[in-house]
Amino acid sequence: MMELQGLTKSYDGVPAIADFSLDIRDDEYVTLLGPSGSGKSTLLRLIAGLERPDAGSIILDGTNLTGTPTHLRGLGFVQQKFGLFPHMSVRENIAFGLRYRQIDPVTDRNELDARVEDMLELVGLDGFGDRMVGEISGGQRQRVSLARTLICEPRICLLDEPLGALDANLRERMTIELQRIRSTLGVTFMHVTGNEAEALAMGDRMIVLNEGRAIQIDTPDTIFNHPGCVQAARFLNTYNILPGGMENGHFLSAGTRLAAPRGIGDAAHYVIRHDHIDIRAGGTEPREGFAHMEVEFIASEFLGARVIYFFRRPDGGVIEAERHLSVVRPKDIRRGETRVLHWPVDDVLFYDRDGDLLETQSSVLEAV
Amino acid sequence: MSVLSAEAVGEAHRESFWRRHLHVFLLAPGVAWMVLFLIVPLIMMVYVSFWTQTTFAINSTLTTKSWSTFFASETYYGALVRTLRLWLTVLALTFIAGYPTALFIGQFVRNKTFQTVLLVTCVIPFWTSFLIRVLAWRPMLGKEGAINIVLEKLGLISGPIEVLLFTELSVIIGMVQIYVVFMVGPIAFMLARIDDSLLEAARDLGASPMTIFRKIIFPLSLPGVVVGAIFVSVMVLGEFATASALSGRKVNLLGNIIVTQVGSLKWAFAAVVGVVLTAVMAVVITGLLRLVNLQKEL
Repeated sequence: MMELQGLTKSYDGVPAIADFSLDIRDDEYVTLLGPSGSGKSTLLRLIAGLERPDAGSIILDGTNLTGTPTHLRGLGFVQQKFGLFPHMSVRENIAFGLRYRQIDPVTDRNELDARVEDMLELVGLDGFGDRMVGEISGGQRQRVSLARTLICEPRICLLDEPLGALDANLRERMTIELQRIRSTLGVTFMHVTGNEAEALAMGDRMIVLNEGRAIQIDTPDTIFNHPGCVQAARFLNTYNILPGGMENGHFLSAGTRLAAPRGIGDAAHYVIRHDHIDIRAGGTEPREGFAHMEVEFIASEFLGARVIYFFRRPDGGVIEAERHLSVVRPKDIRRGETRVLHWPVDDVLFYDRDGDLLETQSSVLEAV
Repeated sequence: MSVLSAEAVGEAHRESFWRRHLHVFLLAPGVAWMVLFLIVPLIMMVYVSFWTQTTFAINSTLTTKSWSTFFASETYYGALVRTLRLWLTVLALTFIAGYPTALFIGQFVRNKTFQTVLLVTCVIPFWTSFLIRVLAWRPMLGKEGAINIVLEKLGLISGPIEVLLFTELSVIIGMVQIYVVFMVGPIAFMLARIDDSLLEAARDLGASPMTIFRKIIFPLSLPGVVVGAIFVSVMVLGEFATASALSGRKVNLLGNIIVTQVGSLKWAFAAVVGVVLTAVMAVVITGLLRLVNLQKEL
């Protein structure tokens, strides 16, 4: 188990990581979601020992690693740019750590060869051992980089946007591969990404990072359905966030009165998921238990199995609705046409002025 | 109408003629230059080395007399051996002095502007002429020179060190100082190109700083070492000015022999030495290029 306690790091007075604490369990897949500039790479570099923290400590199984140099930490770090050695073959790259590490190097030729062969097979590169790293594709380089780290049997393997340099097709395949490789070896993976889909799909636990702080640590399922704060909801890229305030039991957002459940506190953000919104013909009357809003159609984006519709809100902002084509037929709407959007009030999440999630009756009920 | 189209066809034909032969026109000046000033002189040099030399004249009757004189005479054959020995010494010393300097500039200095400033600083001596740079060593190394005076004042030596000037040592000191920068430049360039992510990956894989240097940094800088070695070798093998100025004409290199022979109009013999020198350089450069595949690295 690894404990991070109050890690802090600033560059030229600008904080990159601020008072970050986290416990990472053994045999776990942790994903870390954050936009660029949120300090996610800095966090990995601090853990790997490539940067020194200004404050805080890193403790692995009771041993304090904070001052230990990188090469004595026994952690694996798979870099975004792969960092393969260009003058060596795939086999030599993979064998590098085992052969040349300062602690307990493997000198026996046969053992070295056998372990490299096993690793090549595990990452699906059998037969590529003698190629130079300039002669293989991007996806294969990614696998070499992973194999090179995993062969050293690190306690924790840190992955810095490992799929960022791959094209979409390859990314999906590597997603499955990474999970298979991880569960085969039982190593803890800490995977940093800016892609919400990747973070949700891969992690046993997920951390949402904003401006150097963890704003939510939970299972992907909980984070997706109940983002702990408005920033987390924003990073998930699947919520409409309407600013405004409460007035006489309704939420007032730029001139539109939206239904709200009773007993909600001082909400400042009205948050509704894209796929909870239903699209009705203009002039449809409001129903009990539903909020509704009259909007103007702008455009739609066809994504194969689903379509995202963009509408202009009365205050000029954009609201998105997502429809899955397995559930409904695509709607044929012309630009400028008026529609009524409506959604169940129970599906709405409310956040206060500080961005914290407010308890609604439905969420309390769910918790019970 | 038909006239117009015929003209158009002619136009198209003319254009395609230029296009088809464009590479010939682009190559011609370079090829002509190389043939006139490299290939022809080389052939002439080999040819002249077989001419018959008499004391005051030379004629084109072919003979191997100059060649046998060269290899039979202790003076001339010895000069070949001395040139090779001096070249190896200077090459080794420029590498020993140059590599750490380049390592500092290319790897330890992280600021690109400061890197450039340091490299330009290395070139400052070249703002004065070559001969002045060579002759400036005399007041440094001489019996009454700066080094001897300082050492005597410090009480480290009782009499002046005489071996410092007008010996093979002074020639080596002078050459190393003049040519070391040609070793530093290419190596620093290659070192600065090494991506930090490689070194971080190696550290993370558990390699100690010394292992990282031996297995990653040095192999990746090797093309720079080879380019630097080629620069230094070509210049040192053809040297004559430093040798005559700092050795008091006691150390004769192949270059010095060519100068004296040409001076006394012994063209055939000078040509023999020239051919030998060219052959030595060709062998040295081929050997160095064998070490790394420069086409792939640069």
